Formats: sequence, structure tokens, C-alpha cells
Amino acid sequence: MTKSFMRAVRQHRASLLVLAGMAGLWQILSMIFRAEALPGEPMVPGWQVLVTKTFLSLSDYWQGGLGVESVATGGKPSYLASLLAVVSNSLDTVIRLYAGLFVGAIIGMLFGLAVSWSSWTRRIVELPAQFLRTLPLLAMVPLFQLWFGTYFVGRVAFVAYGVGVIFFAGVINAVKNVPQIYIDNARTLGATRFQLYRTVILPSIFPELRSTTLLSLGTAWTAELGAEYLGAQSGLGYIIVYSEQFAYLDRMFFVALLFILYASISYAIFNSLSLRLLIWVPRAGRDVLVEPKRAGNALS
Amino acid sequence: MLPEPVASPMIVLTGVSRIFRRADGQLVRAVTDITFEIPQGQFVCLVGPSGCGKSTLLQMIAGLLLPSNGSIRVADSFVTEPSPERGVVFQKDSVFPWMRVVDNVEYGLKCRGMAKGERRTIARDYLTLVGLSHVEDAWPRELSSGMLKRVAVAAVFANGASVLLLDEPFGSLDYVTKRQLHDVLLRLWAQSDGENRRTVLFVTHDVDEALTLADRILVLHSGRLVDDLGIGVPRPRTADSLLMEEMMQRKHELLAHLGLEGAPAPAARREEMT
Repeated sequence: MTKSFMRAVRQHRASLLVLAGMAGLWQILSMIFRAEALPGEPMVPGWQVLVTKTFLSLSDYWQGGLGVESVATGGKPSYLASLLAVVSNSLDTVIRLYAGLFVGAIIGMLFGLAVSWSSWTRRIVELPAQFLRTLPLLAMVPLFQLWFGTYFVGRVAFVAYGVGVIFFAGVINAVKNVPQIYIDNARTLGATRFQLYRTVILPSIFPELRSTTLLSLGTAWTAELGAEYLGAQSGLGYIIVYSEQFAYLDRMFFVALLFILYASISYAIFNSLSLRLLIWVPRAGRDVLVEPKRAGNALS
Repeated sequence: MLPEPVASPMIVLTGVSRIFRRADGQLVRAVTDITFEIPQGQFVCLVGPSGCGKSTLLQMIAGLLLPSNGSIRVADSFVTEPSPERGVVFQKDSVFPWMRVVDNVEYGLKCRGMAKGERRTIARDYLTLVGLSHVEDAWPRELSSGMLKRVAVAAVFANGASVLLLDEPFGSLDYVTKRQLHDVLLRLWAQSDGENRRTVLFVTHDVDEALTLADRILVLHSGRLVDDLGIGVPRPRTADSLLMEEMMQRKHELLAHLGLEGAPAPAARREEMT
């Protein structure tokens, strides 16, 4: 564990140095620009502010429970309450985001595959889905709030919509690029249409869907935070809205840092998973040809 | 020497034509009025210059293309779609890169619902026969072109097809690998005899390859069947077999059809050789 961690650190040494440099630059800026939005609320909060005052102030967003009283009901701000507030609001956001991502990816993929399944399914699916694609995502937030509410279902539906349209387009494009030779080979070996989709179309579109999924991850974050920003009851977006009303710039910046952290973790997990799933994809310089046994072995 | 094939027709083409419409709207006749029969168990090579309609004809027999006119029957059934009864080894690499070698070989059997243990045994047997038992768990990306062809051949044989259609399968391989694969193919073909012998239609533009492999050579030119040559030279055939009188005569006839020589002159050539 320690060895693999150290290896990862060595591999990403340059990137980590750049990050450290950016953090240092931020600290220098906080020392140069000392303006305050309100008394005691710096426009550029330094790290000493962020990890003490700012973090402690997040106690405001703890609703109470687990033996820790909320500030609204008379509890004192504490690091434990702050930690619970960050964890609970982060979970709200992340769970809704991944639920929406999952639902959207499945639905978008099914609709995308339906376009190539038969001429009938293409006629039924393609035009309405292409029409839905053109609707601007954030403009749909109020409609989704009215249709599905501002809680779990509404958020998940909205993220699923944003992700689904990307997957729909990505899958259509990826299926078009499946080499005909694989389809012909499967058909002549006896694959049914369902088997063809399960064993040939789906695996062969995976490499192309990798970029679609990365794009969808970004869109999912945008959709989730956009939705929370416009009508939130909980979650990281809700903290930003609340902070903005009181010009708590440091809290907004702190939450933005959390976004970056979670998004980075998401990308790292996805990268790791996709590399495992795509182990079969040829890559220059990696493959070593296995020598065949001599012909005599086969022909003797 | 291999036993003689049973002479009931396995593949019957009657007046088969295929017309394509090009992007500019012009109609192109790729195959015109082809009629022939191939008896069960016969190894037939289809020879002709590039663009003469060989692959189109093969794809129609495979069921991947439908004829514009005429009919194709295989084992007394009209061909309307692909079937595992008609296995195809393609010119391009068709091995699925996302499946390990052994999974590729047993793919057809899996599609038909065969139990895992049974199909794995069959796949391993055929991998041994083509000399790839040591790479059954390898990814296709780790194999050479020749090995990928062996996998494709093993997959088709393992699937139990009664008709094998090979579309210039070894065209891109070096001479040594090609010769090795000829031996592999013939060995697999000769495994069974009588009614179980598979019928093979092998498309090639390589005259020597056709003479080495075939019982019979069909010659296609400009979409039409222009010759039907029997090859009576006994098997196994070696490089020396190609120097035999009958082979030389057939070779000249084939080269003439391909436009590489004038009318065949076997007598003159024989005199020169002696």
C-alpha cells in the first residue's frame, strides 16, 4: 500500500508540484489582496482562514443528529459539526449525481442502441431523441423542478436527462464506427441479434464511450450543481447559494475546492476502471507478440 | 491420399447475378449469371483477378449479401441469411479483440448454448490442432497476423460448419506462414471423411495457392465464370507437385485467364523442361 502510494507520488511528481505551486500562489494573492466583501469576509481567503474559520463556519449547515446539535437550535459551532455538514451535504450531492449518471447512461445507451437495432426502432426513437438533445440543459431546471420536485427524484431526473442526451449521441456515433467485419463474423458464427449486441456491439463501442463518459461526468457535475444552485434544499450547491446571500466568499471557495476534489476522484476512479475494462485494446509499445509453436507441432 | 468426396451437391448456384448501385447512381454488375455445383466434401478454389466478383460471390453464398437474380442453395436450403452451417474466414482480421483466444474459438458454440465445459474442450482441441494451445488465454493484440488467422480458422472449424468459405484468408501473410497455414487448413479439412468432410470454397488470386489446395478451380473474370478446372494431382502436394505436368498445364491456363500470359502452351513448355 505504502509502496504503491509512493510509486503514484513519484509518477505524478510534476503534477503535484504544479498543484503545490498553485496553492502557494493563492496564498501570496491572499496576502496581497486584502480587500473584504464584508467586515471579516476576505475576498481572497488564505489557507489559514479556510482551514480554521471557514471550516468551522460550515457548522451552520449541520441539521443536527448523531449527538451533535445544530447551530440553528442553539448548538455551538464545532469542527465535528462542520465535518458532519460537509460529509452529509457532499453525500447528498454525490449520490444524486451518480444515480443520475447511472440512470442517464443506461437510458441514453438504450435509446442510442435502439437507433441501430431496426428501421422501426430508428423511426420511433431517433427524431424525438434528437429533438430533446437540442433543448438547453440549464433552461430545463425550472421545468424539472416543477415536474419532479426539488428533492432526490427531481435532481436525479435532471442529471439523467443531461447525461442521457450525451450518451444517446455518443452511442449512435460509436455504433456507426463498429467495424463491419466483426458483425459479419459474429453473424456467420451464429449470433442472434441480441447476442450480436451483447457480445460484439457493446464491447466494441466501449473504447469510444470512454470519452463520452468523461464528457458526461463533467455534464453531470454541471447539471447537479446547476440544479442545486437554482432550487436546493441540501447539497454542496445549496451551501454556495446560502453563502452567496451573505457574501461568505471563503465558504464558496471552500465548496469549490470540494468540487475539484470530488471531480478529480471521480475521474481517477473512472480512468482506473476503464483501463481495466479496456485491457484488450491494442496500444503502441505495450504489446509483445507471442511466438507460435513451430508448425511441426501442429502438423505432425 | 485422402478419400474421394461424396458426390452429392452441397452448394448449388443457379443464374446468380449481383448488381450494385454506386454513389453516382450508376449500376455496376459485379457478378453475372453464375451457375455451378460443388459436391459435398470438395475443396474448390475460386480464382480471378482483383475486382472480378470473387468476394461478392463468396459473400452471397455466406448469406451476407443477397443476389439480385438467381438462387443459391446450400445443403438443399436456399440461402437468405448467414448461418453457422456456412463458416467464413475473412480476408481482414475478424478475431474479436475484446475476447481472449479461447473465447474467440468457442464463440459460435456459446451462441448456440453449448455448456461451457463441452465447448471449452472443443475449443482447446482445435487450438492444439492449429498450434496455439500455448496462447489460449492471450489477447488477440498479443498475437501475430498469422496466429490471428489460425484463431479464425480454428473458430470456424470448432463451430462445426459443413461449408467453409475462405475469402483470400492468407493473402497478407508471408510465404512461410502461408504454407504453414495451408497445411493447417488441409489437415483440419482431412480430419473427417465421407459425409462429414467439409465442403470448402477458397477465394484466392494466387495461382500456386489454388493449385496446392484445390480439387477443382473455378475461374472468374469480369463477374462471369469462365473456366472450371479439375486438379487430379494426388495429395499431399508439395512444392515439387507444382512442377508436375498437369500442374504446369493448369498453371498456364490460369495465368492466361488472369491476363499474365497468352493462350496456354503446355506442350511447348513440356519440351522446354525436358
